[in-house]
Amino acid sequence: MKARVILLLCVTVMSGALWMGATVPDLGYPLPPDPLPLQVPAGWPKPLPQVFAKNKPTEQGFQLGKKLFYDQRLSKNGQVSCANCHQQFAAFATFDHDLSHGLNDVLGKRNAPALMNLAWMPNLHWDGGINHLEVQPLHPLTAPDEMGESLDSIILKIKSDTSYTKMFRAAFGDAQINTQRMLRALTQFTGHLVSANSKYDKVQRGEASFTEYEKRGYELYKANCAACHPEPLFTDNSFRNNGLSLNRFHDIGRQAITGKPSDSLAFKVPTLRNVQMSYPYMHDGRFYSLYHVIDHYRSGIDTTQPTLDPQLKNRIQMTTKQRNELVYFLYTLTDSSFIKNPRFSPGNAVLVPGPDMHKAGMK
Amino acid sequence: MTANKLTLQNIFRGFLFLAAMLSLAQTLVAQDTGMVNLHFIHEANGKGLVLHDSVYTNRAGETYSIKKLQYYLGHFRIGGTGSMPEGDAYFLVKQPYVEEAKPLELKLPAGTYTSLGFTLGIDSIDHCSGAQSGALDPINNMFWTWNSGYVIFKMEGNSPSSPSDLGRIEHHIGGYKAGEDVAQTIIMNASKENPIRVLKGRVTDIFIRVNLDAYWDGIQQIRISENPLCMSPGPLAQKIAANFPAMFSLADIKNPK
Ligand code: HEC
Ligand code: HEC
Repeated sequence: MKARVILLLCVTVMSGALWMGATVPDLGYPLPPDPLPLQVPAGWPKPLPQVFAKNKPTEQGFQLGKKLFYDQRLSKNGQVSCANCHQQFAAFATFDHDLSHGLNDVLGKRNAPALMNLAWMPNLHWDGGINHLEVQPLHPLTAPDEMGESLDSIILKIKSDTSYTKMFRAAFGDAQINTQRMLRALTQFTGHLVSANSKYDKVQRGEASFTEYEKRGYELYKANCAACHPEPLFTDNSFRNNGLSLNRFHDIGRQAITGKPSDSLAFKVPTLRNVQMSYPYMHDGRFYSLYHVIDHYRSGIDTTQPTLDPQLKNRIQMTTKQRNELVYFLYTLTDSSFIKNPRFSPGNAVLVPGPDMHKAGMK
Repeated sequence: MTANKLTLQNIFRGFLFLAAMLSLAQTLVAQDTGMVNLHFIHEANGKGLVLHDSVYTNRAGETYSIKKLQYYLGHFRIGGTGSMPEGDAYFLVKQPYVEEAKPLELKLPAGTYTSLGFTLGIDSIDHCSGAQSGALDPINNMFWTWNSGYVIFKMEGNSPSSPSDLGRIEHHIGGYKAGEDVAQTIIMNASKENPIRVLKGRVTDIFIRVNLDAYWDGIQQIRISENPLCMSPGPLAQKIAANFPAMFSLADIKNPK
């Protein structure tokens, strides 16, 4: 017993010394990965604490997450990556597709949403079925109509690729590869997809000004849309029924998760940021243009639905001219620096030297 | 990266570390521990469970066979002291097919105990704080990917009474939100004559009978003809889970001599 205690003490002292030495590179001890804290745009609420609670982002983790996001080998047939359905130039929605296409071009039942500002989103997916960003990828990775692969095979494939081994070590300190680390790396990438540099943002920061049209559109937005799509995120992330008819898949939305009849046809309010790029619109991509969307609010809302959001029971009164002004405003939410940001683009997921590589003099 | 400096932060770290070490050493010296091996014996109709091949009957005369049986246990407690064994918080117990069942190993403080308890299920916090590892790794296929949450008890099989496709029985029991919680606390008492004895450095074997008859006919009657499938949280999952505690009992305790 005593011998074991002493041994344990020695081991702990040694690892403690290593730990303290982590800030002392000139002694030749390994460097920790470079912290990459989420930048919170001015005037925004704090991101949700749970998103990165156990997964402090680092540059190395972000790069690994990016590689995973763009890696088609994670799918069963080696042809579908996250980015097949989440394309950067479409603000990470699927460009011009009402429904998403997965493995062997099997059609899904929902529209792939644009991905941005996810660190502020408590529940993911149109019905809010996903309770944490880290566990979200489990659905597309394994769903037969998305990437259709088993977690066992995915981990095997990753383990057999030495470039991954290096990146896992750089991000997490050792080469152990498991689902938790894979999911955390993906979260570091998707959680960093922040869009906050549109013309609208520049106007808020006093760096640009709206045209007359845009200004009137902004007022129309504040009067008619902001209740559910409030600034600065342009969503309150709540679940509501905005009066769309039940679709051919009998998609009842939130009710499938909560079991409550009062949640029938409620879907998550999507952000309006980059909405110009993320068409088609709504959970099943039924509208191809913003004009159709606003016309739905003006005249298409099914006011007989018992779960219709009360704010929409008289529909939204707006002239055609006002509709067009509103669309001009929505265009100001397009953030081209986000859509073109090379940090988020494929092809240059770089291996940033991490702990062991410094030691091995690989920098 | 800042260079080698005796910063306040480093000194503080040193102190913290020393304190942690001292308390660790203390607990190690103060507590003698022994091993407890828990053996789970799955039974139905008084016979040991054999996957796939054997046929069993519930009280309504519905016959069935079982292909898969696995569930999560955690928060082990002994003797009503509430003390927890060291190590992993959760274990995934599986009925093996051909391979030999591995006992579940706990390290417990030495002593004499009159009861053994655990939770069949997973704390709600562990359902909603992101990706987990170990027994809770989603690679174990006990996680709903479309409605985040763990399946805490999974039973799959077949029955001619099942109206479902190919006579399937698929019971995936889970649910952690308020009003949907399925986790059950299970306490099993040992007899006064043969309590659980944990001796320093020795192994105690405890055999736990898990009786599937009580799964169908416990506090609640579960009928294959009516409920061949249970694939999401809700009232049915809760009704089935209410039968869990009655399934578990202490079959035998082999204390070290
Ligand atoms: C086959 C197309 C497809 C693939 C591949 C795919 N997704 Fe998605 N993604 C979707 C669809 C469709 C939804 C909406 C799902 C729903 O609401 O049921 C979605 C939703 C999401 C969301 C939630 C967004 C929100 O606003 O709620 C995130 C995050 C996401 N996907 C990330 C990923 C990641 C990471 C991967 C790769 C591991 C991936 N997706 C692969 C189609 C896809
Ligand atoms: C009562 C709340 C509410 C109000 C008010 C509201 N919306 Fe929505 N909006 C929603 C919901 C909920 C959805 C998602 C519906 C679905 O897909 O089933 C949505 C979806 C959208 C979409 C689709 C975005 C995408 O990525 O698919 C656009 C665009 C949109 N709304 C614009 C507007 C505009 C413009 C206004 C003001 C004229 C407005 N909304 C007012 C609740 C609201």
